[in-house]
Amino acid sequence: MTVAMAAVLAVVVGSLISCAETRASEKKVSLTPGPEVEELEQSMSYEEYQKRYKEVFGTATEEMAEDGNPAELALDDGLDLVNAVAGSKGLSCASCHGKDGVKLKGIAATYPKYDPAIKGIATVALQINRCREGNMGAEPFKYESYDQLVITMYVKSLSNGVPIHVSIDGPARPFYDKGKVYYFKRQGQFNFSCAVCHVKYAGYMARTNLISNNKHHGDHWPAYRLKWGKTGSMQRRFRGCLKNMRAERPAFQSEIFRDLELYLTSIANGEPVQVPGLRM
Amino acid sequence: MSVKERNRPAVAATVFGTLAVLSMSLVPQVAQAADAARGRKVMTTKSLGNCAACHKFPNVESPGDIGPDLIESMESFGPEDRAAVRQWIWDAREFMPHTIMPPFGANKILTPQQVDDVVEYLYSLKR
Ligand code: HEC
Ligand code: HEC
Repeated sequence: MTVAMAAVLAVVVGSLISCAETRASEKKVSLTPGPEVEELEQSMSYEEYQKRYKEVFGTATEEMAEDGNPAELALDDGLDLVNAVAGSKGLSCASCHGKDGVKLKGIAATYPKYDPAIKGIATVALQINRCREGNMGAEPFKYESYDQLVITMYVKSLSNGVPIHVSIDGPARPFYDKGKVYYFKRQGQFNFSCAVCHVKYAGYMARTNLISNNKHHGDHWPAYRLKWGKTGSMQRRFRGCLKNMRAERPAFQSEIFRDLELYLTSIANGEPVQVPGLRM
Repeated sequence: MSVKERNRPAVAATVFGTLAVLSMSLVPQVAQAADAARGRKVMTTKSLGNCAACHKFPNVESPGDIGPDLIESMESFGPEDRAAVRQWIWDAREFMPHTIMPPFGANKILTPQQVDDVVEYLYSLKR
């Protein structure tokens, strides 16, 4: 390579780098306190979004609900698992949490929550497995397995109707921030972020899909989804959207997914828990 | 890599141009003429452009409404704007850093040939 060519290349590389820097630094907004995320305007009010939803789906959702939620039938299996003795210590969930887990009423409305023992965020699914391993000497459930989903669903359903009130202050704050940054981060081959769809274009049509407003993303999981033909977790839905984005897909209950679940659930603060959900 | 492949800022374009000229003597280029019919196929195929997810254009059933109607858009682009139209598809962040539109060329979602074909189709809407 000639000296002249090398010099020209240096200029190009330099100009590309400075280009990237301006792009990354403009139009950022600071959270209080902590990291920065891309500033996006909410596409429309929640009321306007609901109006569009009605226009697109009419009474389809009500009809679907009338036919019944297949996941409801599985709640009994969840209840049985709560009362079932498992593991080396001869205990069941009921040994600590009362018959049928009655003492867990309302608890799931505070999850995900900061847990000092893991110095991070615990989801209901993760907490159940921590109880099994630590307190019962039992094998953890494999995430997204039938048993794991139905017991989580049952435990969460004990909080149905209770307003969600997850804490995002104090020790939970840095994890909430991480979840929020992830939600706004552009990623994957298409350069989308969760927020660009579910905030900036919520209520718009991506072909025949109405992009949902994120206000109710956190209140109904695990949910039965017709497209899956089965019940799945919120994190399975994360992975679905990430696949559509052609982005990397973190593992179930990985740290970042728990932080993201905290962030999305906090948006639903004040909304009642409704588990299991039913979705198209 | 040819200049046509990337409508970068002027400095970059010149250098890529220089490199292209240098490499052309080494690598035989097999560029095909742009083809509107192939471009349309790219735009309606889900695994390729999937432009209909966001844009309306002729003869697509239930297009999305995230982006502008491309028939209307093309009314405001003249023959002299070909490079700009191509740039929208190659990497729309050049015009709008925070756009939702995927950078089809820059992120290698489409090949340079496919991007040319799409531009050809878009211009066919003007006739
Ligand atoms: C290109 C657009 C797009 C992107 C990017 C995207 N989503 Fe989605 N998402 C959709 C569509 C469309 C649906 C299906 C319809 C609906 O429920 O919104 C959906 C559904 C969901 C649901 C289920 C909503 C419900 O009420 O059941 C959740 C949760 C969700 N997305 C979270 C995410 C997260 C987290 C990310 C980023 C990791 C993300 N999405 C990225 C378009 C997108
Ligand atoms: C995920 C959504 C999305 C997809 C997919 C998409 N676009 Fe776009 N496009 C947009 C948006 C939104 C704009 C307007 C700029 C903005 O607001 O970000 C736009 C702008 C444009 C423009 C400029 C229009 C004008 O009036 O200036 C052209 C041309 C265009 N798109 C062509 C295409 C083609 C061709 C494809 C497929 C190869 C495509 N787009 C795929 C969302 C999309």
